[in-house]
Amino acid sequence: MDSSSSSQPEFDYLFKLLLIGDSGVGKSSLLLRFTSDSFDDLSPTIGVDFKVKMVTIGGKKLKLAIWDTAGQERFRTLTSSYYRGAQGIIMVYDVTRRETFSNLADVWAKEIDLYSTNQDCIKMLVGNKVDKESERVVTKKEGIDFAREYGCLFLECSAKTRVNVEQCFEELVLKILDTPSLLAEGSAGVERNIFKQKPPQADASTSSCC
Amino acid sequence: MVKGFIAANGMEKKRTSDESEPGSILLSQVDRFGFIKLEQNSSEGLTKSRPTNEHEREETRIKKWRKMVGVGGSDWKQYVRRKPHVVKRRIRKGIPDCLRGLVWQLISGSRDLLLMNPGVYEQLVIYETSAAELDIIRDISRTFPSHVFFQQRHGPGQRSLYNVLKAYSVYDRDVGYVQGMGFLAGLLLLYMSEEDAFWLLVALLKGAVHAPMEGLYLAGLPLVQQYLFQFEQLVKEHLPKLGKHFSEEVVNPSMYASQWFITIFSYSFPFPLALRIWDVFLYEVSKTLEELRQDYEKRNGGPLGQAGSTNRQLRAINHKEFSIMTEISNCVQKDDLSS
Repeated sequence: MDSSSSSQPEFDYLFKLLLIGDSGVGKSSLLLRFTSDSFDDLSPTIGVDFKVKMVTIGGKKLKLAIWDTAGQERFRTLTSSYYRGAQGIIMVYDVTRRETFSNLADVWAKEIDLYSTNQDCIKMLVGNKVDKESERVVTKKEGIDFAREYGCLFLECSAKTRVNVEQCFEELVLKILDTPSLLAEGSAGVERNIFKQKPPQADASTSSCC
Repeated sequence: MVKGFIAANGMEKKRTSDESEPGSILLSQVDRFGFIKLEQNSSEGLTKSRPTNEHEREETRIKKWRKMVGVGGSDWKQYVRRKPHVVKRRIRKGIPDCLRGLVWQLISGSRDLLLMNPGVYEQLVIYETSAAELDIIRDISRTFPSHVFFQQRHGPGQRSLYNVLKAYSVYDRDVGYVQGMGFLAGLLLLYMSEEDAFWLLVALLKGAVHAPMEGLYLAGLPLVQQYLFQFEQLVKEHLPKLGKHFSEEVVNPSMYASQWFITIFSYSFPFPLALRIWDVFLYEVSKTLEELRQDYEKRNGGPLGQAGSTNRQLRAINHKEFSIMTEISNCVQKDDLSS
């Protein structure tokens, strides 16, 4: 492992991604579906949490460190520092709850402006819970319009049925791979970074409740 | 209020992967604390295959404890005054589960609060409304979802949890409701009634015998920030190699420890460990404060002012309190946790 940075790195790039959005929209569920292809009753995220996943996208071996944040306002004092250095930010809302969508403009886009340090950082808008089609109150068109206005990628998905979940992360990562300034930052061995090598206690244990 | 709770939750369907009715869980499917067993549950062995002599030892232990506590806690205060070292030693070994609820109320000072405030809880639950009601409802079914008491939608567990959290959010509108409080309330509700749990929450956050811990939830989370800072220094001091490694890898405690403090270890730790931490934490933190107070009075020849305490004293107290918290988790982990 010591040799990983000098001779042959175990991955080509390391990207730091961030999940934000109101409480209960399904950020942790999306992440759990993506990293371990499962769906479960999850406890609310307290503060921050993270998972690490190795993927091969666009022919590149990638290490994704994905930060999952608590949605409640009181926790922003803890979560705001995690915008720094993120190459990709996923804004999640719940298509069955109008206020989670209106808060994107009122709250979350502002948070990104305030705390993100990366000019070229890729933003992605994700409408979750499309499995509850009968309860939907935010139309797909509204999502598309928002994404266009704020310059984001856009997808609708369901962590429960796994529809489009992988695509969310894939499209985001492909776009990062297309952006030279972000690539330079994420190159293995360029700088010391969080989780350059093995993360402390990566997946499972961090988010499990007793 | 309760009506709103039912209506809002009724929209969400039970997840499909769980086919069984909440009421149909067999006793053999839960561990001794009431959590539904995972297939490869490591604590499996502890519940059933306890040797008989251990069972007897447990009985003797409970007898000693009953004597120490007295009927309804009547002998407790005197015992603590007479033999504090015995109490400390026994608490470190773990409060017997059947007496835990009562003893927690005695050592946190919540019993006295309850007696001094008759009818207050009922008033808060029935007549007051809270701005946080919807937020609370959203989290109710996400709090200890694998425990039988809380599993049933709109069941007694979920209703009590809602009531306690709503009552607190009205009682202290500055704090209101913050995610994480549900785990404190949930833990307490497994050991005592709604009203008792509410007053223990008040005792903790407002500081009946401890320094108040409401800073865990106030805007800016000042106490969480303080604990994280102290924790980082303690790691550097006591585990220098690890501390160095962490700083090289830019890993800071807020990445993994904020949830420990915000929920006072009730969120992500194995349940038996959380209980043992709470036993010792509730007792020793208040004891330490008492010792510090006496120490202060001896040195300064006067009582420690309530509001007038200087920052330095508070910092000293908090620091002491904090090192105890970490010490506790160390000693409990080393201890036979599986018992």
